[in-house]
Formats: sequence, structure tokens, C-alpha cells
Amino acid sequence: MKTNNRLFVQSTTVLLLVGFLALLAIIGMTIWLGQRAQVYFDDVIRARDARGAAVELRNATQTAESSQRGFLVTGNEVYLAPYDSAKSLARRQMEVVKQTQTPYDQAAASVERLTAIIAEKFAEMDQTIALKRARKDDEALALVRTNRGKALMDEANVFFAGLIRVADDRLTTSVGEHRSNAAWLRLVSIVAGIVIIAVIGAAAFAVVRHTRELAAAREEVDVLNAGLEERVRDRTADLAQANAEMQRFAYIITHDLRAPLVNIMGFTSELEGSAKSLQALVDGLNEADPADPVVREARVAALEDMPEAIGFIRSSTKKMDNLINAILKLSREGRRALRTEPVELAEVIETSAAAIRHQLLQAGGTIDLQLRVPSILSDRPSLEHIFSNLFDNAVKYRSRERPLRIEVSASVVSGDLISVEIADNGRGIADQDRERVFELFRRSGIQDQPGEGIGLAYARTIVRNLGGDITVTSRLDKGTTFRVVLPRNLQSAEVAVA
Amino acid sequence: MSIAVTPVTIVMIEDDEGHARLIEKNIRRAGVNNEIVPFVDGSSALAYLFGSGDVTEIDAHRHLLVLLDLNLPDMTGVDILTRIKGDPHLKCTPVVVLTTTDDAREIQRCYDLGANVYITKPVDYEGFANAIRQLGLFFSVIQVPETA
Repeated sequence: MKTNNRLFVQSTTVLLLVGFLALLAIIGMTIWLGQRAQVYFDDVIRARDARGAAVELRNATQTAESSQRGFLVTGNEVYLAPYDSAKSLARRQMEVVKQTQTPYDQAAASVERLTAIIAEKFAEMDQTIALKRARKDDEALALVRTNRGKALMDEANVFFAGLIRVADDRLTTSVGEHRSNAAWLRLVSIVAGIVIIAVIGAAAFAVVRHTRELAAAREEVDVLNAGLEERVRDRTADLAQANAEMQRFAYIITHDLRAPLVNIMGFTSELEGSAKSLQALVDGLNEADPADPVVREARVAALEDMPEAIGFIRSSTKKMDNLINAILKLSREGRRALRTEPVELAEVIETSAAAIRHQLLQAGGTIDLQLRVPSILSDRPSLEHIFSNLFDNAVKYRSRERPLRIEVSASVVSGDLISVEIADNGRGIADQDRERVFELFRRSGIQDQPGEGIGLAYARTIVRNLGGDITVTSRLDKGTTFRVVLPRNLQSAEVAVA
Repeated sequence: MSIAVTPVTIVMIEDDEGHARLIEKNIRRAGVNNEIVPFVDGSSALAYLFGSGDVTEIDAHRHLLVLLDLNLPDMTGVDILTRIKGDPHLKCTPVVVLTTTDDAREIQRCYDLGANVYITKPVDYEGFANAIRQLGLFFSVIQVPETA
């Protein structure tokens, strides 16, 4: 699932990158082609202007020529009417031609030549018109006959045709370029469009497939979860049953073990009573016949061996009874019904701490409470027992080398868990004993204190009954910290456990 | 009144013969010399208490005191206690429950069912002997109206 996920992210990223690049290409191409189109368009405008100017100039020159000819033939001034306007128009158009041809370097020579021709042509026409007006018809005719004017006009026409053709060529080329430009733009757009659609399609496909996989995975997890919950429930029920059975077993065992113990103890006492009478008898015998070996042996048996044997039987039975009682107490605690009620944990700890105040004073010790806990829902007697036991231990197993110092801090560790730490500077617990201290009948360190080794075993049983746990950290000769973690709400914890 | 001279018979229902012997010894030491009828199981004890099922007039006028152990091989002492306290003729018979169980709920249950005294057999023999001796005191008290 994890590799699948990475693959999905990778492939989607690549696809998006490709799509992005395609989009960039389209934008770039469009801008570039648009600029090119602008250039072609400008070319077209210029070519059109150049052509228009050339045509206008030709028209003006021709108009002037026909006007001159009409006047020369008729001598009528009427014919000259358009001449002057045509002349000024021709001059203006000449300027326009020059302007429009400026961008084309190769045209410079032709334009220069055309300018000269036009100037000369108008000079010739002006001259003939002047001669005609001066009634010098012959001279004017002679000037015309030189064919100089016609030659100039022919040459000018060649240039006009040239300019027009060049302009036409340019128009055609530009339009052609424009067209291909547009075709390119279209092509690029189509290709990029296809790429984008493909990319989006692929990405969408990947997303859909991934979503489907996720949904399937989630369904699978749900199914597993449901199965798991059921398994946990079954297992918990089994455990609860096993636990109940064990407690019943412990109860029966201890109970049945007690019956013979009562006999042993009882008849031992009877024996002791009988021994006393024997002892009195033997004492009397001794005085009567001290040398008799039978009497001596009987004396040793009645006065030394029997009391010794009875003493050992008695102490062993007593010890066994204590052990049985401890097991009985534990099994009973496991069967005790918990009563959930609001408990001020801080108050419980303070009360438990107050119980050891006297011993603390005697030992010159101090206790520091840092309790920042809300009230919790739990079983008060259980809590009291736990903290009393831990405080008792702190006092009992203090170090003789330094004054006892107990630090208690309680705080909320997560939403529904409370942690209480009880740290002392006592004699500590060796590494190998750290778990053993919680075991029944096991004790740690020098056995200089009375006890059967049930306190912590009992405390752990109670804490676990409350849905919590107790752990220990310790350094030998430095101190011990017990950490009790409790649920804020016993019932919710029970629900979670049960 | 012929009934007044009938001495109290102690019915001891105890499966452990050692316990039975210790109890008897201590009862005797306490100066109680009444007849003790021992039973080691519930069935025979019930047969003695209830006869063949028909409690006769004479049966009803027997004066009994039942020492009852709760752990019996064939039934629990609680069953016997229930039978005794449920019987119109026997329900006034004092029942002393004498057992190893010191479970508070068990004790409460026995008292609820009508047990007159509940004694835990302590492993500590001094305590045991003491309890029996006090029981002897109890016997002497209940004997008073009968002998008077």
C-alpha cells in the first residue's frame, strides 16, 4: 500500500508536470506566433501603402502629362486646369513613396532614380507649357519631338510597374506567411490540447484508480477491524473467565489448605500439653535414678527434642497460614465489586500521606505534594490502599544514610489518563529485582523489615482492577519512583477492557 | 414437665475428624458434658435431624444444638442450615456455624439464614480453644431454662 501510494504521487506529479509543460509551450508558441502575425500584418500594411503611393504617383504624373498634351495641341488653358494640382499631388506622393520605401534598402537606388526622372519630367513639361504660352509653338513642338518627355515617362512607368510588382510580391508573401503562421498556431494548439487532454485523462484515471484502491483498502481495514474487535472481545471474555477461575481456584485451595492446618496447629498444641505432663514425669524420674540411660534419653527427648520440634512445627504452620491468608486476600480483592464514585484523587493522596506523617517526623523526613489533578471516577478504598501501601514502603525502605524525602506529583497525562509519581530517596531496588517486587511473596534487598512480600503484589492487582497500571524505576542506593497510571473514568476503562 | 429434664444433645456435623476431635476436647475442657453426636457428612446428619421425614412429637421435643461446618463432602453447611431454619419444629434449635471460612459475605449469609453464632476456626490454636470455651459458656447459658 505504501509503495502504491508513492507510485501514485510520483506518476501524478509527472503527469501534472507534463501538462504544465504543454501549457507553457502553448502559451509561448501563441505569444511568439502572435508577434509574428503582428510583424506580417505590419509588412502587409507597409506594402499596401507603398503600392498605393506608387499608383497615386503614376496617376498624378499621367494626369499631368495628358493635361500638358491637351494644352500643347489646343492651346486652350482649360486643359491646364488639372496640371498644377496633379503636379503638387505628384510631389506629395513622391515623398510618400520615399517614406514607404525607406525600410527596403535595395529600393533606395530605384527611388532616387525615380525622383530624378519625375523631377526631370515635370521640368520638361513646365518648359513646353512655358514655350506654348509664349506663343513659341515651334520650339515647344521641337522639344516634344526630341521624345525626351516620352522616354522619361516610359522609364518612370517601368519604375512604377516595378514598385507595384514588388509591393504586390510583398503582399502575397506576407499574407502567405500569415497564413502559415496561423496554420502553425492551430497545429501547436491542437497538439498541445491533445497532450493536455491526455495528461488530464491519465491523471484523472490515476486518481480514480487510487481512490478506488483507497476505498477498497479502507473496506478491508473496516472488515479487519470488526474481526479484530470481535477477537478482542472473545479473548477478553476468555481472559476474564480464566481470571475468575483462577481466583476461584485460589480461594478453594487456600480454604482447603486451612483445614489441615487447623489440625496441625491444634494437635501440636495438644502435643505440647502432653509433653508438659511427660516433662513433669521425667523430671521426677531423674531424681530417682539419674544413671539409667533410658531415663537420660527420655529426659533429652521430653525436655529438648520435643519442644524444639513443636516450635518448628508451630512457626512453619504460622508462616504457611500467613501465606495462605495473603493469597486469600488477593483472590478476594479480585472478586470484590468496585464502586465507582467521584473521588478527589488529591484528597486521597493527602490523606494517605497524612497517615505516615508521624513516622516521617520521627525519621526527620519530608514529603512534597504537587497534585494537579481533577476529581476522577474510581473506587475510593482501592485508591486509598494503593497510596497507603506506596507511602508505607517509602518509609519502611528509606535509606539510613540520609533524611527521607518523598516527592509526589500527580498530573493528567492524556485526555483520560492520570499519572501519579511517588519518588523517594530510599535505598532503591536492584535492577534484577525491579519486576520481582510486584510478585507475590517476593521481597527485595536486605530483609531487615517485617513483611510477607504481598504489599506491592496486592497494589498491582488493585491498580489493574481499576484499569490502570503501576510501574517502577529505581537506582540502587539513590531512590525509587513508583508510577501509577489510572483512568479518569473507571467505567469507561472497564468498557474498554471488557 | 418431662421435657425439662431432657438434656441438650450436641449434634456435631464436621467432616474433618481432627477438627471434630479438637472441638470435642475443648468442649469437654470447658466443662460441658452433654452428649455429642458426631456426623462426618450432611446426609447422615439430616437423617438424624429429620428422621425418616416425619418429625414426631418426641423428635420435636428433643433438645438439640447443632455445630455445623460449612464444607462438607456431600453438601454445603448452608443447605443444612436452610433446612433446619426452614423447619417449623427445628427452627428454634441453636445453630453454631464453625468453619474455616472468614469471608464476610459468607458470614453475613449464614446470619441472614438464621445462624445463631458464627465461629471462624482460627489456625492459631489459642484462639480456637478460646472460641470453643466461649461456646461452652454459651451452652451453659442455654442450658439454664432446661435444668431449672
